[in-house]
Amino acid sequence: MRKIVDLEEGLELVQKGITKLTNILEGRAEPSFITDECMMLYTTIFNIASRNYPHDHSQLLYDKYRELLEEYLTSEALPALSEKYDEFMLLELVHRWKNYKVMVRWLTHFFFYINRYYIPRRSLTPLAEVGLNCFRQLVYQVLKDKVRDAVISLINRERDGEQVDKTLLKNVLNIFVEIGSGKTHYYETDFEAHMLRETSTYYSQKASIWIVEYSCPDYMFKAEECLKREKDRVLHYLHEISKPKLLQHVTAELTVLMKQAEDAASNKKVLVRSVIELNAKYLAVSNDCFQNKSPLRKPLKEVFEVFCNKGFSGNSCVELLATFCDHTLKKGGTKNSSEAVEETIEKTKDSSYGDITTLSQTVKLLAYINDKDLFAEFHRKKLARRLLFDRSAHDDSERSMLKKLNQQFGWQVTWKMEGMVTDMTLAREIQSSFQEYLKSNRQENPGTDLSVTVLTTRFWPGYKSHDLNLPSELIKCVQAFKIFYETTSSRRKLTWLYSLGSCIINAKFGERTIELIVTTHHAAVLMLFNSADRLGYSEIKSQVGLTDDEVTILLHSLSCARYKILNKEPNSQTISRTDYFEFNSEFTEEMKRIKISRPRVDERNKVIQDVDKDREYAIDAAIVRIMKNRNVIVYQQLVVECMEHLKHVFKPDIKAIKKRIEALITREYLERDQMNPSIFRYVA
Amino acid sequence: MNCLRYPATCFIHKLGRGHRDKVQQFMAITGSSEKAAVQALKASDWHLEGAFDIFYSQPHIRTVTDSRHLEELYNRYKGKMLVVKNEGSQDPYVDMILVDGITLLCNDLQVDPQDIVMLVVSWHMKAATMCEFSRQEFIGGLQYLGIDTIEKFRDKLSYMRSELKDEQKFREIYNFAFGWAKEKGQKSLALDTAIGMWQLLFAERHWPLVDHWCQFLQVRHNKAISRDTWSQLLEFAKTVDLQLSNYDEEGAWPYLIDEFVEYLTENGIVQRHQN
Repeated sequence: MRKIVDLEEGLELVQKGITKLTNILEGRAEPSFITDECMMLYTTIFNIASRNYPHDHSQLLYDKYRELLEEYLTSEALPALSEKYDEFMLLELVHRWKNYKVMVRWLTHFFFYINRYYIPRRSLTPLAEVGLNCFRQLVYQVLKDKVRDAVISLINRERDGEQVDKTLLKNVLNIFVEIGSGKTHYYETDFEAHMLRETSTYYSQKASIWIVEYSCPDYMFKAEECLKREKDRVLHYLHEISKPKLLQHVTAELTVLMKQAEDAASNKKVLVRSVIELNAKYLAVSNDCFQNKSPLRKPLKEVFEVFCNKGFSGNSCVELLATFCDHTLKKGGTKNSSEAVEETIEKTKDSSYGDITTLSQTVKLLAYINDKDLFAEFHRKKLARRLLFDRSAHDDSERSMLKKLNQQFGWQVTWKMEGMVTDMTLAREIQSSFQEYLKSNRQENPGTDLSVTVLTTRFWPGYKSHDLNLPSELIKCVQAFKIFYETTSSRRKLTWLYSLGSCIINAKFGERTIELIVTTHHAAVLMLFNSADRLGYSEIKSQVGLTDDEVTILLHSLSCARYKILNKEPNSQTISRTDYFEFNSEFTEEMKRIKISRPRVDERNKVIQDVDKDREYAIDAAIVRIMKNRNVIVYQQLVVECMEHLKHVFKPDIKAIKKRIEALITREYLERDQMNPSIFRYVA
Repeated sequence: MNCLRYPATCFIHKLGRGHRDKVQQFMAITGSSEKAAVQALKASDWHLEGAFDIFYSQPHIRTVTDSRHLEELYNRYKGKMLVVKNEGSQDPYVDMILVDGITLLCNDLQVDPQDIVMLVVSWHMKAATMCEFSRQEFIGGLQYLGIDTIEKFRDKLSYMRSELKDEQKFREIYNFAFGWAKEKGQKSLALDTAIGMWQLLFAERHWPLVDHWCQFLQVRHNKAISRDTWSQLLEFAKTVDLQLSNYDEEGAWPYLIDEFVEYLTENGIVQRHQN
């Protein structure tokens, strides 16, 4: 006989059942359910839901379900959780979640009838999901930050070497995932994002400590170890979705010092030397690092390459490095040099670092540079100036540097420079012979002390030779040397480079004689005033035989600059063709000897031009060599081999190679295959 | 002979492979046309020796030209200007057909001197430079074409125009045009001349991007055109689609064409969807 179920009665029965379940879950003394009891609960609900037509209490039951869960959570779970902290809280949470899931399962069982019929009919949220939502709203949202912090703190402790309960962490993090019905949305937003930030902070702090504490190889090993451990972390408890992001964050922090170096160097005032010092630690290891498959290898190499090939406020790194070498190889301070120190470089106070070591390290840095030939050309130009104007600190250091460059880049890059250094030694010998010659042939003495440096043309950068009209005293000198030189060697033609020469002139200003150290060009102008008091621009120009540009620069440095040896009429700061000049006999100066600077030369454009031209020839030669060898070749292969051929000198860009290929086709060294234009043939 | 290199008429495609080889061999040895070759071989049941016998015993299919007429023609057009040669020796007439002569020739043919058919004529004559024909070129060319009167010349014009429709011939004519249009002694073709030639040639074989190409050159390049760029442009026009979807920038295209592609994409003329 069917009992008519009273709503009140029925609900009471359900409540009793729930209480029993709760007790069981809470571990209180309670006998477990027997089948009959379960059936009874199920049936009760069934009855309430189906029998009370026309009153449909299904909605009531549906709401009741949620109420029961909420009550459970609020009365049992939350209090228990709020009492606990850190690891204990985490343990409690895992426990509660486990229990809760059981609760939900059982209740869903009991309320099966609603789930099966009422809910789909009304398109309501299924019971399991309702259960999830309750937990999420009442427990998760409230505690998630605390949980997150607790987890992260455990992770950091593990990082510091402590043993932690990995299973616990795994279980906790699973909750983050389960709470999103298996999707990682909550995990990522509520946990991962924060974890990654904390990881970065952690490693950034560690990195700055380790860099000081560890030697470079050890730092590298440590870094690798960290990465491995982070990977394990993912295996053990972090969700696999975190893996790439985690590794990225860690790598970034550990290599951040490279980046700092890079940033420091983009600040105009920072010396290249300090950058090199910073990187010096890593240079030694770079080779080891690049051998093995360290995950740091690639980011490190990339950072070096970017740094070495980028520009800094208009100067290329190449030029900066060349200037740096120049300063390192120069004598003492900058007192003697007539060139102002370039604004981008400041002299370091600590010169006890050891110049040879610095140069070795600089040369190692050069390995990353693509434009090696550009560096070499800058270096050559600056070497020439050092040698010619006697600024080089020591021949030995120059040779030592060249030797290193030779080892790195091969003889093609250094042979000219080595020739230049040798030339200086030979030039000194020739000068000695000249002195001897003059002693034995007094009648040949021109009356002025003359010292000549003879250079072998092909080693040195191209210098313009000017048609300077020399003053008679200097003509005598040149003649004397010519005669001497003809007695020594074979038919070698001498081309005089007056622009590189210098003179010491005794200038009488009233009673006082001051020695003027000037260039030969200056001397040519000044000596004119030995026979004329006042000269106009055009007269000077025609007598001296130089171009307007050159004359303007000369006159400016003599009349409008620091030392006014000449007076200019009118007394303006620019030179014009209508100006008149007079010797300034009123000139006073404390020093007994003054120097008028050589005009500044901006080599950069010329260097770049020359190097570009040389590169064209180099690419041509490489292509022809390859084609002769191969006879027939596919375009892509030709490009690869061409780059391979040239990589020790520079990195040709594809467009340049294409241009040269085209030029060689026009000159009939190669042709395209008739059938397949991607194939090239050598034309004998 | 150029035609022997590209046995591409549909006539020959209908033959089997073995037969095709024989035809080619026959043509190479006798210098005959395909038609004659096939005829002779068919008649000899595809035995080469027999075919030779048949061929040589028949009257030549090629029209024989009257060399006297050719001389007369040449004299009509050759240069009437005084040219002072080295060391003061003078020849009253220069032995070439020059601009005046060509204008007269075009007049006689009732053809505009700018007409592209004159390019085809020059190609047949293997003329070295535009606006002039040497005696050898003129007479030799007409002999080959079987022309010895103006009327025959006029008749042949439509055939020559049709040759432009043939893929192979067009390519040859196009490539020939480079050497012919450039200045003597120069290795590259002046930009203005190149543009003029391209306008002319691509009027015959439509390429929608030709105007953009010419504009691009004037704006970005403004220098002479190399032979390689010239010849590869035709390949580009033939093979690359208008969306540039099959353009391979890692490929062996001349750099100017790479730049052209960049220019088209930068200026939104073509929406390229890179793969």
